[in-house]
Amino acid sequence: MSIERSVTSRETSELCLPAQPSKLGVAREYAQRAAAAFGLDADRCYEFVFAVNEAVTNAIRHGRPDEHGQIHLSVLVDGDRLTFAVRDYGTFAASTFDRMTSSERGRGFALMTRLMDAVQLCAAPGSTTVRLSTLACERAPGEGAR
Amino acid sequence: MAEDARAGNRGHSASEEQMGFFYISEEAAVEGVKCGEDAVLLVAGGEIDYAASPQLEERIAEHVDAGRRRLVLDLSTVTFIDSTAIGVLMGVVLLLRELGEGSLALVCADENRRVLRIFEIAGIDSLIDVYGSREEALSALSTAG
Repeated sequence: MSIERSVTSRETSELCLPAQPSKLGVAREYAQRAAAAFGLDADRCYEFVFAVNEAVTNAIRHGRPDEHGQIHLSVLVDGDRLTFAVRDYGTFAASTFDRMTSSERGRGFALMTRLMDAVQLCAAPGSTTVRLSTLACERAPGEGAR
Repeated sequence: MAEDARAGNRGHSASEEQMGFFYISEEAAVEGVKCGEDAVLLVAGGEIDYAASPQLEERIAEHVDAGRRRLVLDLSTVTFIDSTAIGVLMGVVLLLRELGEGSLALVCADENRRVLRIFEIAGIDSLIDVYGSREEALSALSTAG
């Protein structure tokens, strides 16, 4: 695991995480720190961490790690937008998506999209990235992002 | 001890709860509420994620295999629950329905509003009854039984 951090007009950090279920707690801690540093309140930090956990779980379950057995997590703060990216090195296959039960597939993605302001799936040969974004603006308690 | 807790064995310490380790144990029945021998009260806490969900599933399956058909699972001290754990719970409900006359009730105290919010978003309350206390859940079982 390694952390690189650089500060420019846009603030980014990156974490390489072994693609193992036992490392999900590390991913959640990393997301929690990013969300708190961004200034989200406690409830929205929890929601952000939840959505990140879903994306990282999907990458571990259905994706493929790099040659070192790792997946890559990164945080980008751009103005009032916080984006968390989860990248694995598998080629996203619609057939894999189709094999998941409809409830399983629907649940994970529905939860992510409900809690985030934007969820983006970028599929390329040998690389699949899910980006979760949330805005700094406050929402009423209990109000979903969408 | 920590390994025991993560393995789902009975017993856990406050420090383990604070550290977020998943645990699940069987509790004695609540005084004054009779539910019958096919009922069991389980208490789970900590973080239930993809790593811990298999333990949750195994422990519940042990009780179903032992003939328990009415399960109450107290999740009041769960600090984190993900979609795989919710999938396990929904799977248990469907299994108990297949077996006939079975039910799963969840307990989650009102104070644990973050987990309750995840339940709400996941729509779990459409499939599983969620009660605010063990007494309420066990009383409902007792009435139903």
